[in-house]
Amino acid sequence: MYKSVLCWLDAVAEKFSGKTVFSDKNTEITFSQFNEYTKAIGTFLADKVTAQSPVIVMSGRNVYTPACFLGVVRAGCFYAPMDSTMPVHRLNQIIGVIKSDYMIVDKENLEIAKSLDFQGEIYVLEDIINTNPDEALLAKATENLTEETPLYVIFTSGSTGVPKGVITSHHSLMCYINAVSKVLDANSGDVFGNQSPLDYIAAVRDIYLPLKTGASTVIIPKNEFAMPTKLFETLNEYKVTALCWSVAGIELPAKLGAFNCIKPEYLKKVIFSGSVMPCKYLKIWQQNLPDVMFVNQYGPTEATASCTYYVVDKQVEDDTVLPIGVPYENYRIILLNEDGTETEKGKTGEICVSGPILALGYYGDKERTEQSFIQNPLNNNYRELIYKTGDLGSFREDGILEFHGRKDRQIKHMGHRIELGEIEETAKQIDGVEDCCSLYYKEKEQLYLFYTGSASSKEIVLHFRKNLPAFMSPRKLMNLESMPHLPNGKTDMQTLKTYMK
Amino acid sequence: MDELMEILEELRPDVDFENEKGLIADGILDSFDIVALVGELNEAFDIEIKPNDLVPDNFNSAEAMLALINKLQDE
Repeated sequence: MYKSVLCWLDAVAEKFSGKTVFSDKNTEITFSQFNEYTKAIGTFLADKVTAQSPVIVMSGRNVYTPACFLGVVRAGCFYAPMDSTMPVHRLNQIIGVIKSDYMIVDKENLEIAKSLDFQGEIYVLEDIINTNPDEALLAKATENLTEETPLYVIFTSGSTGVPKGVITSHHSLMCYINAVSKVLDANSGDVFGNQSPLDYIAAVRDIYLPLKTGASTVIIPKNEFAMPTKLFETLNEYKVTALCWSVAGIELPAKLGAFNCIKPEYLKKVIFSGSVMPCKYLKIWQQNLPDVMFVNQYGPTEATASCTYYVVDKQVEDDTVLPIGVPYENYRIILLNEDGTETEKGKTGEICVSGPILALGYYGDKERTEQSFIQNPLNNNYRELIYKTGDLGSFREDGILEFHGRKDRQIKHMGHRIELGEIEETAKQIDGVEDCCSLYYKEKEQLYLFYTGSASSKEIVLHFRKNLPAFMSPRKLMNLESMPHLPNGKTDMQTLKTYMK
Repeated sequence: MDELMEILEELRPDVDFENEKGLIADGILDSFDIVALVGELNEAFDIEIKPNDLVPDNFNSAEAMLALINKLQDE
């Protein structure tokens, strides 16, 4: 039995030793080289770190970053990835939550790392990647590792203005990767084209499917997503067979007309997630690539990437709404009403998830963990935790799950999960902002901020760009004389919605 | 040029469009900026930016964008 992702790594490193595992525009590394790098990094760290503690990794969009992640794991620890292009304030918030003693950075990010509120040791990747592996030390470092040991902590938007660190165990990750690899029939002949930032949950497919199956992953430069014909050329150059992209990533080339110039020649499977797919764009993909399998996925980071999947079985139309399908193996979905009773078939309830894929909670935040991960109210006989997603859904007669949006003010924008409350909390830090409300104009995919006060829109945008990831910065700002209110004193969002156009 | 600068500044007030020469190469504009920008330029200048025009050389600086706009207007 495989108790950790290291068992997968050892197995593929032997079986596929000379085959490429990861490549980027500059470098290509084989399974065996990759494995050696993880051992070198692991050896360097092992006699410094305390087992089962977090190590921050802040390195670029290249083949060495996954090696860092697994190197941390070889040292008996778990990794907390950070994207250095995030605003400094955001990085400092993450550091404040994770309270790690160690950080690995590449040379390129060293200056940024030094400028952060980080008190621990900083190690430079290029200095440690050629450490001589010490097998005995590595064996000792992982001797207490179990399936339930954390593998990583990935950060996501929090409504109070502080990001939440979702902790995932080896076992949960392996359950998900096993399940998704069956649906995709992932195998050593596959080449995945990575779109997701490597610190983001969606990247676990691109990193771990190769380690499970012997497939390869190409890390595509970020700016190619702005230039869609170049992007498709890259897919062809590397003979990419499979994409695990955000819906936003799938939309882009279709929106910008890339198929009129060039087609990805080698694609066989495309799996997308992150938000609701507008089918007018999926239709373009289907028409141009009739033999490709398209799969819709749904699920929160708290239930390890994705909970349900739906293989698109026919040509979609512009107004088709894709269901989110059926649970992956090892996932169980129940729908609950507000009063904790089970929702009838055909009726809408909150989507709740249980199974070995539940996260271990939010790092260092017992309170929010206990609010979101609760005992299944339908089970009085034994301990069974469920995660309440805050998403609404209903089961069709045939058992297929449909998605009906959010219970609260969390939205999905450009494939990222955003709490509108976090945007408002950030805006309120500006002196010239008295009251504000952020809304999402779904049809146009635009974030709005309505505010009162003397601040100029430029001032506000600059503040956002400094404090929040770019995708969270509202594109439309509206300065109001006064904020509309309901009789109970709450902001009248319905009136505000009529201002969006 | 003024009209273009206005559009660019509204899109990304945090970027110095007068001096930046590597808007794409340095990753300053992301894919979502480009989608928004293409729509706005097409509308404002009555042009049609084609996928083949979407290469870094045409978008790395405000001047390059202006040259592209002029070229497409002449066609």
